[in-house]
Amino acid sequence: MKFSINKADLQTLSQHPVFWVVLSLSLVITPHLSRFPLWSIFLITCLFSWRLLCIKHPRWLPAKWLLLIIIIFSSAGLFFHFGTLFGKTAGSVLLSILLAVKLHESQSRREYMLLISLSFFIIVTNFLFSQSIPTVIFMLCIIVVLLMSMITINQNNAAIDNIAKLKLSIKMLLQALPLMLIMFILFPRISGPLWKLPEEEKTASSGLSDTMSPGNISNLIKSSAVAFRVQFKNEIPAQQQLYWRGLVLWYFDGRTWERGKQNITPEPSLLTSKNLIDYTITLQAHEKKWLYALDMPVDIPDDIIYTNNFVLRAQHKITSLYQYHLTSSLDYQIQREISPWEKSAGLKIPPQTNLKTLLKGRELAAQFSQAEEIVKHVLKTFNQDEFHYTLSPPLTSGADPVDQFLFQTKRGFCEHYASSFTLLMRAAGIPARVVLGYQGGTINPLTQVLTVRQSEAHAWSEVWLQGRGWVRIDPTAAIAPQRIEQSLDAALDVNEARSLHMQLSNSVFKELLFYWDAIDNRWNQWVIGYDIAQQKQLLSRLLNQQINFSDIVLLLVIGFTLALLITSLFIFKPWHKAKVEPVVEAYATFCKKLSAKGLTRETYEGAFDFSHRAIALLPEQKNSIQLITRLYSKLRYEPSQSDKQLSQFKQLVREFNPGRTPKS
Amino acid sequence: MAENLPLLPRFAERFIQGWAKKRQPPASHQIEIDRHHLYILPTRHGVLYFMVLLLILFGAINYENSLGFMLAFLLGSLALLGMIYTHQNINKLNVHIGRAEPVFVGQDMLFPISLSQKTPQLRPAIQLRSSTSQISHAHLLNTTHTNSQLVCTAQHRGYSSPGQIKLFSEFPFGLFHAWSWLNLDSRCLVYPAPYAHHTPIIKSDQELNGSTTNIKQGTDDFSGIRQYQAGDLPNHMAWKAIAKTGKLQTKLFSNETSQDMWIRWTQLEPALDTEHRLSQLCRMILDASKHSLNFGLDIPGTTIPPSHGLQHKQQCLKALALFGL
Repeated sequence: MKFSINKADLQTLSQHPVFWVVLSLSLVITPHLSRFPLWSIFLITCLFSWRLLCIKHPRWLPAKWLLLIIIIFSSAGLFFHFGTLFGKTAGSVLLSILLAVKLHESQSRREYMLLISLSFFIIVTNFLFSQSIPTVIFMLCIIVVLLMSMITINQNNAAIDNIAKLKLSIKMLLQALPLMLIMFILFPRISGPLWKLPEEEKTASSGLSDTMSPGNISNLIKSSAVAFRVQFKNEIPAQQQLYWRGLVLWYFDGRTWERGKQNITPEPSLLTSKNLIDYTITLQAHEKKWLYALDMPVDIPDDIIYTNNFVLRAQHKITSLYQYHLTSSLDYQIQREISPWEKSAGLKIPPQTNLKTLLKGRELAAQFSQAEEIVKHVLKTFNQDEFHYTLSPPLTSGADPVDQFLFQTKRGFCEHYASSFTLLMRAAGIPARVVLGYQGGTINPLTQVLTVRQSEAHAWSEVWLQGRGWVRIDPTAAIAPQRIEQSLDAALDVNEARSLHMQLSNSVFKELLFYWDAIDNRWNQWVIGYDIAQQKQLLSRLLNQQINFSDIVLLLVIGFTLALLITSLFIFKPWHKAKVEPVVEAYATFCKKLSAKGLTRETYEGAFDFSHRAIALLPEQKNSIQLITRLYSKLRYEPSQSDKQLSQFKQLVREFNPGRTPKS
Repeated sequence: MAENLPLLPRFAERFIQGWAKKRQPPASHQIEIDRHHLYILPTRHGVLYFMVLLLILFGAINYENSLGFMLAFLLGSLALLGMIYTHQNINKLNVHIGRAEPVFVGQDMLFPISLSQKTPQLRPAIQLRSSTSQISHAHLLNTTHTNSQLVCTAQHRGYSSPGQIKLFSEFPFGLFHAWSWLNLDSRCLVYPAPYAHHTPIIKSDQELNGSTTNIKQGTDDFSGIRQYQAGDLPNHMAWKAIAKTGKLQTKLFSNETSQDMWIRWTQLEPALDTEHRLSQLCRMILDASKHSLNFGLDIPGTTIPPSHGLQHKQQCLKALALFGL
């Protein structure tokens, strides 16, 4: 057995349907690979390569029982790995393996077409994971390859080279895009799923988690992924006021903060000034239920739950882009009367850990009579002592991480400061809690849309002060005011490792990044977020009247028909006349001149037969008729032609005048 | 590749065919396919593709996935365009049929087909199905002309026409099957199938020679020996040479062509029916012609005087082919 490959083999391979089917399948599976278990990638690769070898050696195709064993074992493996076979990821792996196996049973056009059709289905499963612009561009390229595969399968051994196939596929794709767009805009949407979505297996989610321990926010900071975008109705508040409240953490075990039990305060109270801020948040899917809001949300939509912690929660996990409209107030007072539950939870201290911190807290309580003074003193300590704000703090691995931070390393990120500050307050007898969320954001000067990225994740504290209620205290603001007033980038030391996005936004690419951000935002708003509400809004605005369901259906039918008509006009090209060779055209002129004399060339009549009839009728024109006929047959039927002869021929026809005797 | 029209049960296809036959233009040796005689339906693959498309659409509705919607609509639009392209692949195609060379019953008649178009466009994967279900392919690859052959098994002797031809294409995506039934006017002369065995005819040869009056005597000069071939006359066997070498050898005579013989209707067993008789006569003509004999044909209604050569052979075979028709 030799595996030598030469150029001719490659040539036949690149025209073989199996090659194209394998190429298509591997391309549609590629974007999924990061989610696949390693063994399944190996299995699929082996199956694909083996099938390619079988093109030359059809007898090597595996037996049915072997394929069955592969399916049984890989299904078992997937079930073991994912706990289900029907989740988004498990399902796509299973489908990919099934297709790779089916490939070995496929030897006819029918089976190839089945595989290509199912490849389209794998593309759509990828859209459940990512709907970004780069994904779409990649998918369009894949669709072109799939179209080329379909052409190859149906070309019946015609010698069409791959360039021609590529051109045809791209042409058809471009012609299909406007039709698709009209369908997309006008296809009536319904709200809510048709059937209950299956419970998802655990997927890796991006964004904040609902616990906070040293290191987990500084890890998240490295990601420049968008968390959410905010469109303010009026002007955008100052940077240091942009606290995006996400979660409130009550329970501390000495190292990690958690949400703990539900806050059962009977009636939370909120006092605000009249100065309200209207804005719309477009939240990226984060696979969690909680929502972010500008401190402090006042008015919320009906389908959002307002919890006792003044934190918003959605009805279900946010698995796709989610848009909500809120009103917040920057001047507010919450819970001027603290509830017993909040008081006890806000003072709870984990026993037997961080003893130095507890001691310090008690000292402070003895030293100052006012809670405000304690807060002020601690913040001053952070600001004036040897504390550092850094993305890469030394590991605090012991049993007393807060003690280690406060009294030894003194280097930390927002989670270290928020955690130690809150514990210190509790030790000093002031009810305190940790709040997780984002702080700041980048305003895109092109769109005035605020983009909040994962790198803006933040943690701060809230303490309960007599007469003022829960007050936000951000210890990070004391140590690194630039972080709050400007950005993380401004607060970090020059030597700190910055993410690529951060580096780019400091460079000449800054403008480009804003453009990209604006495009991405539009894409999210108008494409990914296009739903029944947006459809109605858009159509009502376009047609200047209220639109209902039946109008949309009517519009769809009319619009699509019109678009199809226009597209088919471009395909049929009725204005496009058949291109006639100049020789034939000139000869037709000659025949026309003769037919004016009553001599019409019959369709079956050859040029020479016709010339004999013409000479018989017009003997005085014998020379020119003969010359024209000879030149015509020469130009028309002989391979070598010169432009000079052609122009001579045209000249002769032009000068030919059957009504005039030639000059002697 | 067989046709695959899933939505069309046999009787429905026959119904359409009957309907199409009524509206078919009169037979001609040249036909331009126009949209009035062009039919198109989705293939089995097309239906499968449509089902995947629906699956994608329902998935998109359920997950409220915009790009899922887009993909479903893109696939739908591509399929529609595919339909137009398939239609255009054979629309306004010029089909010209030529004369087929004569064949024997049971052989394939090969009608030369020329496909042409006014502008050089890409029209590959055009298929022609003859009335006996043989399929031939033709591709117009940015040219104005291409040649192909219609293959059709000859079933009866006499003049045979190609019958109803189906020209179809599924290019580019195989989702739609566009076709047209063509009534092309051409004919092919079909000779009777030659009888499979040589021997009975050869045996009667001697008697045949004896019964003819115009044997030229003393002119058969021995000119050489060659290896025995099936159909050689037994009285030409070179017995001496066979005895020497152990191989069958035949004597050659330079004047064989001048030896007149008659192939007669009457010389065959009277019990034979017409077609068998014609078949045996056909075999005799072929054998006689192979040995360059000077032979004549005598069948009821036609008598062809002894002669030789290709033209004579064809004339005799034609007489057999058209006997009684």
